[in-house]
Amino acid sequence: MANRVQIPTSNSALIAMIADEDTVVGFLMAGVGNVDLRRKTNYLIVDSKTTVKQIEDTFKEFTTREDIAVVLISQYVANMIRFLVDSYNKPVPAILEIPSKDHPYDPAHDSVLSRVKYLFSAESVASGRR
Amino acid sequence: MEVVDHGTPSLENGQTDKEVEENANVLQFMDSMDAYLTLIHSLSSTLRRGWLELASARHSMGASRVNTVLLDHTSHPAATSLLVTQDEGKVDSGKPHFTLCKWASSSDENSLLGEKQSSQDKLHPQLRHRGSTELCEEKTSSENKASREVDDPVQKERSKSLSMFGTLVSPKLRAAQLSFEAALETLVEIVNMRSEMLCAFDQVNMKLEGRKDEK
Repeated sequence: MANRVQIPTSNSALIAMIADEDTVVGFLMAGVGNVDLRRKTNYLIVDSKTTVKQIEDTFKEFTTREDIAVVLISQYVANMIRFLVDSYNKPVPAILEIPSKDHPYDPAHDSVLSRVKYLFSAESVASGRR
Repeated sequence: MEVVDHGTPSLENGQTDKEVEENANVLQFMDSMDAYLTLIHSLSSTLRRGWLELASARHSMGASRVNTVLLDHTSHPAATSLLVTQDEGKVDSGKPHFTLCKWASSSDENSLLGEKQSSQDKLHPQLRHRGSTELCEEKTSSENKASREVDDPVQKERSKSLSMFGTLVSPKLRAAQLSFEAALETLVEIVNMRSEMLCAFDQVNMKLEGRKDEK
């Protein structure tokens, strides 16, 4: 599980984003934008033309990069690649599902809350008492 | 006089130390989950404010001037980054701790000083004293000067970040920038709360698994 993994410490780790245009522009104005020498960015703007494959590839890239500590992903985008987001369980980079302009945040879809929801199920409580 | 011995292995309610620890873990888990949801709610409202201000800026400046085409695609480092450390005192806990370093790209020392200064200001807000006004004014003016010197690099970095949209930008765009900065601060709190929640969850889960194995 998450607590047995060695935490890679870093002095200047990046915040990556996979989100809609306004969210990405807003966070870029707040100074999180990074472009490396190979012109690779730490963000992906998702619009109607973005394919699920592109989102998948970017998510895989961001979660394997060592210079990224947090990946912000709009919840509606995370829903498109739910199988990938739910199967990810490393502590760093941490995945955070955020609301977007047109889609409010729904706790029922959050991957972290679905992971811990198990404790609230009747089955787990009953098996603990038996 | 009654003397309370904190070192006893069992408590008044008949609970053992193990049970007390289990309860503490469950409470910590519930607390962190509650805080996580509260922070997400706060993030939603901060982001909504940011989007509204960005839309107002786009309305006043024109859609062509607030556009992703204008984003800086040349190589540059992030002005705002994160410091990732192991959680204090628990080297093997596997619980990362994230600290936000805002506008730290150009002059690290100055901006870190700025962060420290602002946190000190938050901790010790300036009091207004009646009487001895001269002394007080002298003191506040020197403090203001010092804070301006500290704020300057931060302001420069903020302006630099907005410069992709032109030199004269709408005040709404500056307001949007501050809202997204506030959102970033909340995000870091959420990430820390998330790791606390997962750590507590793992401990509770481990105890449950242990019980199942015993039976």
